[in-house]
Amino acid sequence: MSSKEDILKRIHANTRQQYDMPDLSLNAIVYEDKLKTFIEVLKAAGGEAYVMQPDDDLNAVIRRFYPEAQRIGSNLNEITCATFNPDELEDPRELNGTDVSVVKGEFGVAENAAVWLPCQYRYKAVYFISNALVILLDRQELVNNMNEAYRRITNADYSFGVFMSGPSKTADIEQALVFGAHGPIRVTVILI
Amino acid sequence: MSTKHSIAAARFIENRPQEKWHDETLWMVRAKRDKQSKSLPEWERLRDLASAIKMYSNSHLETLLQEFEKNAIANGAIVHWAKDAEEHNQIVYDILKEHQAKNLVKSKSMLTEECEMNPFLFSKGIDVVESDLGERILQLMDLKPSHIVLPAIHIKRQQVGEMMEEKLGTEKGNFDPTYLTHAARKHLREKFLHADVSMTGANFAVASTGEIVVCTNEGNADMGTSFAKVHIATFGMEKIVPNREALGVFTRLLARSGTGQPITSYTSHYRKPPKGCEFHIIIVDNGRSEILAQPDHVKTLNCIRCGECMNTCPVYRRSGGYSYTYFIPGPIGINLGMLRNPEKYADNVSACSLCLSCSNVCPAKVDLGEQIYKWRQDLDRIGRANKQKKLMSAGMQYLMERPALFNTALKFAPLVNHLPRFMVYNAVNAWGKGRELPTFAKESFNELWKKNKVK
Repeated sequence: MSSKEDILKRIHANTRQQYDMPDLSLNAIVYEDKLKTFIEVLKAAGGEAYVMQPDDDLNAVIRRFYPEAQRIGSNLNEITCATFNPDELEDPRELNGTDVSVVKGEFGVAENAAVWLPCQYRYKAVYFISNALVILLDRQELVNNMNEAYRRITNADYSFGVFMSGPSKTADIEQALVFGAHGPIRVTVILI
Repeated sequence: MSTKHSIAAARFIENRPQEKWHDETLWMVRAKRDKQSKSLPEWERLRDLASAIKMYSNSHLETLLQEFEKNAIANGAIVHWAKDAEEHNQIVYDILKEHQAKNLVKSKSMLTEECEMNPFLFSKGIDVVESDLGERILQLMDLKPSHIVLPAIHIKRQQVGEMMEEKLGTEKGNFDPTYLTHAARKHLREKFLHADVSMTGANFAVASTGEIVVCTNEGNADMGTSFAKVHIATFGMEKIVPNREALGVFTRLLARSGTGQPITSYTSHYRKPPKGCEFHIIIVDNGRSEILAQPDHVKTLNCIRCGECMNTCPVYRRSGGYSYTYFIPGPIGINLGMLRNPEKYADNVSACSLCLSCSNVCPAKVDLGEQIYKWRQDLDRIGRANKQKKLMSAGMQYLMERPALFNTALKFAPLVNHLPRFMVYNAVNAWGKGRELPTFAKESFNELWKKNKVK
């Protein structure tokens, strides 16, 4: 008997009372101003938000946030400040040393400032390896909470996707909060 | 007769400032959890739902696991089933061998600790690199985690700094957490870039989509899986959730409960392997199917390993993770240890004041304290009851069943108040150890009642 059959047989023999799947409907929290909440929570998570103004130039805004950046990676046409397209690299290791990556978020979640990022690059490392990550997000695309978020992607097809809330962090040394454990040290969400 | 827990706890308490720091720091995390939970009016409803979803999924494992497997295979993953720790470790080793892998970079997984995978792979000549900062610090110090979410909570920055001076060549005497963390970032970045195979656990496995979900703050799982051509994800079968909507309930509870954050920095969904890469998933039983047959304890399978029961436990906070004999400490560890081997791990059931704080905060409503109470009732049956307390209990029973004798004894009880300490606090009285006994009242309730003194 294969281990699979063996395990399933044991589960079958040992399962006692069977419970029904509960009704998942709930009055989950709704925010009066999702944008305001998103920005506040992002700040608390160590991230930065910037709301684009009518006269702003996107590339100039990115440059303002990261004036020192030398290697900027993006596969987005509108990001003219990019110095290379990560999709053209033959090996994801070549991404090491990237100062800023610019990616697009699909939607944001007000309750926890997470942005849903289904991987739109050849290498998912783009989302994690640079010292700073700039996420472009349509400010109309905000949901209140994770229940809404998962309903929105119930049948979504992706290979890899991540809800990202602020920069990489750790408090493993004496509970002292440090940004940039492995991933981006800074995360800037630009709300368009 | 002291338990191993109380002996080890006494050692932990010897370092008073460290004990105080440990206690206060974990309580601070618990307070952060309270702030988060109070920010959501639906908090208790979420806990109820989490519990109900787990009760459903753990009583439908037979169908859900097969649904998961079918969808994972359709996604291009290779699915393995492991009956026990030995089979699990062998599966991992076989994959490594097939790819002639010499090194494995892994993110935190309590399951691989449970299976004692690292020592097994080391013995086969594989370099296993832990990539969670706390886990890596412990690995370089040759120590075990003392908490399931904050593994190095018992280590001070000086110790980390001194170890890193020696192992990673950091500046002498620089114990700044930011400096040390960024030195570790550099060190581990090299490990990520050149890993042959990467490994992660899974916080959740979604049956309807065949994907696994890994939650970290550091992004170590994501970095680890970004360069190696092979990713092995392993999970205990109770990690299954039916669908993404149900997953939403858990991702709202997990970090709020464990670390007091609204969500971890990264909640990563691994569904399909990248082109040219392999994605292996191991579904592990290792005793879980046996727990299904124990109605009193089946709810331990609800656990989502958030670590909150440790943060809130007055005994854990003041005795530290190493005082427990099972590799998972705290209330959930006491229970899981007893389910693993009650004779071997019975020392831990005394590490509980039955305050039930753990049961009251558990996001998946595991009845942790109540189960510990049940295990205590079983201690005598498995031959692990405290002999002195048993003797005294037998004496008490003799007394209780004889009212005349009981009343006489009670009349003389206040004399104990005047006995010299050595006669009350000694090796014979197990209840006098580490605590002050109350003084006996001059008159018993019975006497007061008879004299009409009870208002």
